[in-house]
Amino acid sequence: MGLLSLIVFVPLIGALSMLFLKDDARGRDSARWLATAFSAVPLVLSGWLYFDFDTASPAMQYLEKLRWIPAFNIHYSVGVDGLSLPLVILTALLSFVAVVASFGIEHRVREYFFWFLALECGMLGVFVAQDFFLFYVFWEVTLVPMYFLIGIWGGPKKEYAAIKFFLYTLAGSVFLLLGMLALYFAGEIRTFDFVELAQQSRGMAMGMQILIFLALYVGFAVKIPAFPFHTWLPLAHVEAPTAVSVILAGVLLKMGVYGLLRVSFPILPQATQWFIYPMTVIAFINIVYGAFCAMAQKDMKRMVAYSSINHMGYCLLGMAALTGVNAAAGLSGAVLQMVTHGIITGSLFLLVGVLYDRAHTRDIDQFGGLGAKLPVYTGIMTVQVMASLGLPGLAGFVSEFLCSSAPSDRRLCGCGWRFR
Amino acid sequence: MTLGHLSALSPELFLTIAALGLLLADAVWPGRRKTSVAVAIGAVLAAAVLLFKCGGDGVVLGMMAADGMGRFFKLILLGGMALVLWMSLDYRAFRSSSADREETVSETAWGTYAALLLLATVGLLLLVSAVDFLLIVVALELIGVTSFILTGFLRHDRRSNEAAIKYFLVGAFSSALMIYGVSLLYGITGSTAIRAVLEADLGVASRFPLIAAVLFILVGFGFKLAMVPFHMWVPDAYEGAPTPITAFLSVAPKAAAAGILVRTFAAHGELGLSSLLAVLAAVTMTVGNLAALRQSNVKRLLAYSSIAQMGYVLVGFVAAGKLGILSVLVYSAAYLVMNLGAFACVIAVSNDAGMDDLMGFSGLSRRSLPLALATTVFMLSLTGIPPMVGFVGKFSVFAAAVAEGWVWLAVVGVINSVISLYYYFGIVHRMFFVDSERPLRISVAASLVGCISVTLLGTLAAGLFPGPLLEWVRRVVL
Repeated sequence: MGLLSLIVFVPLIGALSMLFLKDDARGRDSARWLATAFSAVPLVLSGWLYFDFDTASPAMQYLEKLRWIPAFNIHYSVGVDGLSLPLVILTALLSFVAVVASFGIEHRVREYFFWFLALECGMLGVFVAQDFFLFYVFWEVTLVPMYFLIGIWGGPKKEYAAIKFFLYTLAGSVFLLLGMLALYFAGEIRTFDFVELAQQSRGMAMGMQILIFLALYVGFAVKIPAFPFHTWLPLAHVEAPTAVSVILAGVLLKMGVYGLLRVSFPILPQATQWFIYPMTVIAFINIVYGAFCAMAQKDMKRMVAYSSINHMGYCLLGMAALTGVNAAAGLSGAVLQMVTHGIITGSLFLLVGVLYDRAHTRDIDQFGGLGAKLPVYTGIMTVQVMASLGLPGLAGFVSEFLCSSAPSDRRLCGCGWRFR
Repeated sequence: MTLGHLSALSPELFLTIAALGLLLADAVWPGRRKTSVAVAIGAVLAAAVLLFKCGGDGVVLGMMAADGMGRFFKLILLGGMALVLWMSLDYRAFRSSSADREETVSETAWGTYAALLLLATVGLLLLVSAVDFLLIVVALELIGVTSFILTGFLRHDRRSNEAAIKYFLVGAFSSALMIYGVSLLYGITGSTAIRAVLEADLGVASRFPLIAAVLFILVGFGFKLAMVPFHMWVPDAYEGAPTPITAFLSVAPKAAAAGILVRTFAAHGELGLSSLLAVLAAVTMTVGNLAALRQSNVKRLLAYSSIAQMGYVLVGFVAAGKLGILSVLVYSAAYLVMNLGAFACVIAVSNDAGMDDLMGFSGLSRRSLPLALATTVFMLSLTGIPPMVGFVGKFSVFAAAVAEGWVWLAVVGVINSVISLYYYFGIVHRMFFVDSERPLRISVAASLVGCISVTLLGTLAAGLFPGPLLEWVRRVVL
């Protein structure tokens, strides 16, 4: 078993181990510590990956390829490159943090960590899969645990939020499935391998490319979430427990952007060019509309949720620079934005969770003068908010600067910058 | 009739003898439930062994084809029947209407019950290997008559009686239509062999009667498959029948009908019927799913869900071609395993709750987490979410549709999958999110535990590693 398989499947083993624990005080404690241990392993291994990874090489590294379903020429194929690696590390890091942040869960503890670790397995799998079928399987595997995590441990409207999340994202991903099948049958060789698909799609007719691109885009856009498919997000975020919000904002949203970068862009280049302009417009709607919505919120969690829509708009904007002179800056910005947004928003959700656990409200107006009572907390919060804002010297600045300055049309740059 | 023919027919003959033996034994030693059912399971498994020991390709008596596809369907049907019998062991009937809920077990003639199921199995085996419409009609009647009796087996339950009568009337009507179709066909071609339809070299004048004959026969299959608009009998029959029989009805005749459908009319394109069938497939999925959304009785819910599931099979059938036939076979096998698993879970829950209402599932996760998780797996599989076998089925069906240019049908299919999530997860919602009024831990009978474990293993194993299944089906189809 290779390093990447180990990273992906250790959490799954952890999840299964939860089923053998007893549901008493000791069982609950061991569930917490076991979950910590099983989520620490991928973190340590991905840390090793970070130092061992050859940054000079653009090739896929740590490749593992096994025959899985020969009838459809499907392989179990995993690997990382410069695009996957940061996201693998981000996922391992946030999952570990979220597990530790979940120690306060007192209700159905074993089940909680069962679903949580299953979710981690799915997310890591999405980022390392190099076969479209495998990618899709992991993609769907993330849906189910999230449904339970929101639905059981969430807030007052958790059940509605859970099924809405599930229906929305499943509706998106079935179109992903259709797009995937169309790609499979479009080429000369029947394959699901990302590299082979990219090689043989060059000659595909434009109309076909656009149709497939749109089908895939629906699947990814729901996850990002790009306007107008964003309506599930605020609800899911507000209702989810703190640690799950961290994962939702920190990792799940990145799956959509990652999917566009991994699948749509390289495999359907002409359709991507065709879609650049609509995508720029969508990016702007996300940025502007997300920012205005966030401004209007009284609930802190809702505010952070809308700010995520705004920040994902920056990712899209950076990616839309693909055809221009600043393509490298834009794409680097988009990838960096995924990581920084994951860390910053993750910590913001944790900070809001800290307040909510103590005050049982998230109404911003109730917390006037908090700085005097909780100086350290307020200090940390201020730094994170500034980072999210994009203050120079903090992580958010670098990525948002890259994304905003990337579009070749200068008028767009200024516009993006003003709505931070 | 030679020894070779006997050998090819040995599973059917063996099952018939076993069934007659059980009937006699029931007259002499009545009320031996465990023994009768165990003997029947043994007979089914032995028939499966005979199927492979005494195989050989060729056509028997001009009526039956012994071939790979037949063996595939026979094997999954025998497996399915063994599971149906297994889950009958600890099924507890309860009466919906009267005060004393439990029907005394000795009242029911379990030997007859097992024997009827074996006879139905014989009908199923004959049906999937038939190459002549006469044998098809006879086999369908054998399945039909045994199913009518089994549906009404709870003699003291009014709903069961009502279900049997409805099912009988509709079944008799559909057989009549089908026989009419066969007689038309005989009039036109002078033969009742399946080949006659395909090889009929006719002028324009007799083309219309030929299409009419095919349509009549298709209507007959449509009733068995519960294709919309021939589905009205399904919810009532499923609700009234004893639950193991509902499980039987929901998988076995359907899988067999799917099998004979690909054997008879895989060339529907040449008859100009593809568009009609495509519309029927789309309507079947949609009507089944939309109706299922509103059900509160779990058996009715699964009845509508089974209608919708057959819609997916029809998508594969419409797509036709090698891949289409492959997908029909894969989906039939996947559906058989996961639906039987779902019904085993329903029996486990209903036995405890004493009702078939969805309420029985409330709070199940805290009363038995393994049972709740198993049910969740079956619901996920029925929805078509990986890594369950249902996804492999849906994947093949939609792959066939996309490959053969039926993209609109594939779009309708995937949208239907999303709709179906809502009601399948209505059950999951009850199990995990709703508190139960019955705080006691649920106890599940050993036979049901076994049945659920086997189907669960099948659902997960064939979902995670579908290679062998697909490879087998591919060899059969090519």
